[in-house]
Amino acid sequence: MPQIFKRSANTLARASIVGTLLVVGGLLGLIMAIGQSSYVTRAQEYIDQPIQFSHLHHAGDDGIDCRYCHTSVETAAFAGIPPTKTCMNCHSQIWSTAPILEPVRASFREDQPLRWIRVHDLPDFVYFNHSIHVKKGMGCETCHGRVDEMPLMLQENSLQMDWCLTCHRNPEQFVRPRTEVFTMGYSPPVPQSEIGPRLVKEYGIQSLTSCSVCHR
Amino acid sequence: MARWGMAADLDRCNGCGGCVVACHAENNISTVGPEQASRGRAKHWIRVERYWEGDFPDVKLKFRPTMCQQCGNAPCEPVCPTYASHHTEDGLNAQVYNRCIGTRYCANACPYNARFFDFFNPSWEKPLQLQLNPDVSLREVGVMEKCTFCVQRIRGTQTTAKTEGREIRDGEIQPACVQACSTRALVFGDLEDRESEVSRLSRSPRGSKLLEDVGTRPAVTYLARLTEEA
Repeated sequence: MPQIFKRSANTLARASIVGTLLVVGGLLGLIMAIGQSSYVTRAQEYIDQPIQFSHLHHAGDDGIDCRYCHTSVETAAFAGIPPTKTCMNCHSQIWSTAPILEPVRASFREDQPLRWIRVHDLPDFVYFNHSIHVKKGMGCETCHGRVDEMPLMLQENSLQMDWCLTCHRNPEQFVRPRTEVFTMGYSPPVPQSEIGPRLVKEYGIQSLTSCSVCHR
Repeated sequence: MARWGMAADLDRCNGCGGCVVACHAENNISTVGPEQASRGRAKHWIRVERYWEGDFPDVKLKFRPTMCQQCGNAPCEPVCPTYASHHTEDGLNAQVYNRCIGTRYCANACPYNARFFDFFNPSWEKPLQLQLNPDVSLREVGVMEKCTFCVQRIRGTQTTAKTEGREIRDGEIQPACVQACSTRALVFGDLEDRESEVSRLSRSPRGSKLLEDVGTRPAVTYLARLTEEA
C-alpha cells in the first residue's frame, strides 16, 4: 500500500502548529488593539453640541482662565459646567446679535439650561475628583490635552484604567508646580526627572492604586 | 495609615432600625420584595438582631446592630478567585463589584452573614430612582455586595482633608448608620489613634467582639449592656 502522506507533510504539520499559534496570537492582539483604539474609547472624536463652542477661541485666543467657567474645579469633584449667565456676562455686550449665539440667548430668556453633551464621560462606577488632582499639581492639559488648540472639544485620551494607572504609578513623570496647573503648553523649566520627584515629595503625593479610591 | 473601626454600645441601642433605613438610602440597596425575602435573598448591609429572653409575658428583648465586621483577618478575602474581595491598606474589607464573578465563596466563608448576593438587577419605581446616591455605584445582577463602612464617605473626607491640607478630625467621618443613630449607640473612627472616641470605647472592659474565638479580628466592638431591664 502506498504512503498516503508524502514526506513533505511532516514539514507542513510543523508549520501548521506555528501558524495556528501566530493566528491565535494575532487575533488576541487584534482584540486588545481594538479595545484600546479610539473606535472603542471615542477619543479624538468630535461630539455634536447644542452650540459650536470653541475652546480654541475662548481659552486660546482670548486667554480666559479655565476657572472662569469651570468654577468648582479647585474645590469639588466636578469641575462644573457654567450656567448661561456666565456666557451672558460677555455675550450680552459682544456678539449680542450673532445668529450662532441664539441658543444661548434663548436659554437665558427662557431660563432653561443649555443641554451640553458630556465629552469626558467616565463609566458610572468610577469616581474621579478634580479638586485633589489640581491641588497635587496635575495640569488640566495632562488629561484634557491642548484645550486651547481645540476648535471643538474632544476627548484627548482613552480614559481607560490603564491610562489612569500610568500616572498613579509614576506621578513624578507628570506632576507640575501648582502655579502651572492651568497653563497650556507647559514645559518644565528644568528636566522633569529633576523637578518631578521634588514636587512629589513637596506636595506629599501618594501613589494611590487601591481599588476603593476610585471604585465604590 | 488609619484602621477604621466601630463601637456599638448595646446599652444605648433601642432597636429603632434607623441605621438600617439610613444604610439603604445611602448605599442604594435595592429591595427584593416579600417573596424573595422569604427565600433568604433580602439585602441588609446592617440589620438589628433581636434576642428574646425568658417566657411570655416575662420576656426581655435585646438588640444588636450587626453589619460587616471589617475583619482584620477576613475569611471572605482568601477565598475570592478574582480578588474582588480584598483588604485595603486602612483595614477595610473592600469589594470591587466589577471584578466579582459571583462565585459566592465569600458569603459562604463569612461567619457573620454580612455578605449579600444580587439575585436581580436593581430597579426603582419612578420617581424613586431620583433619590439614589450618586456617590455609590449600583450593583448589577450576579455580584456580591456588603457593608463598606460607607467607603465613599471615608474617601470623600480624606480627599477634602488633603485638599485643605489638614488631618481628618475624630468623628468627622460618619457612616450613614452612625449618623442616623438617634441614641448615638454607634461610634466610628480610627482605631490607630488612641485618643479617638472609638478607640477609647474599644478598650472598654465592657467591650467584646463577635465570634472572637474564630480569629477574624473584627473592627467592630460591642459594649455589653449594663441595665437589667430590657
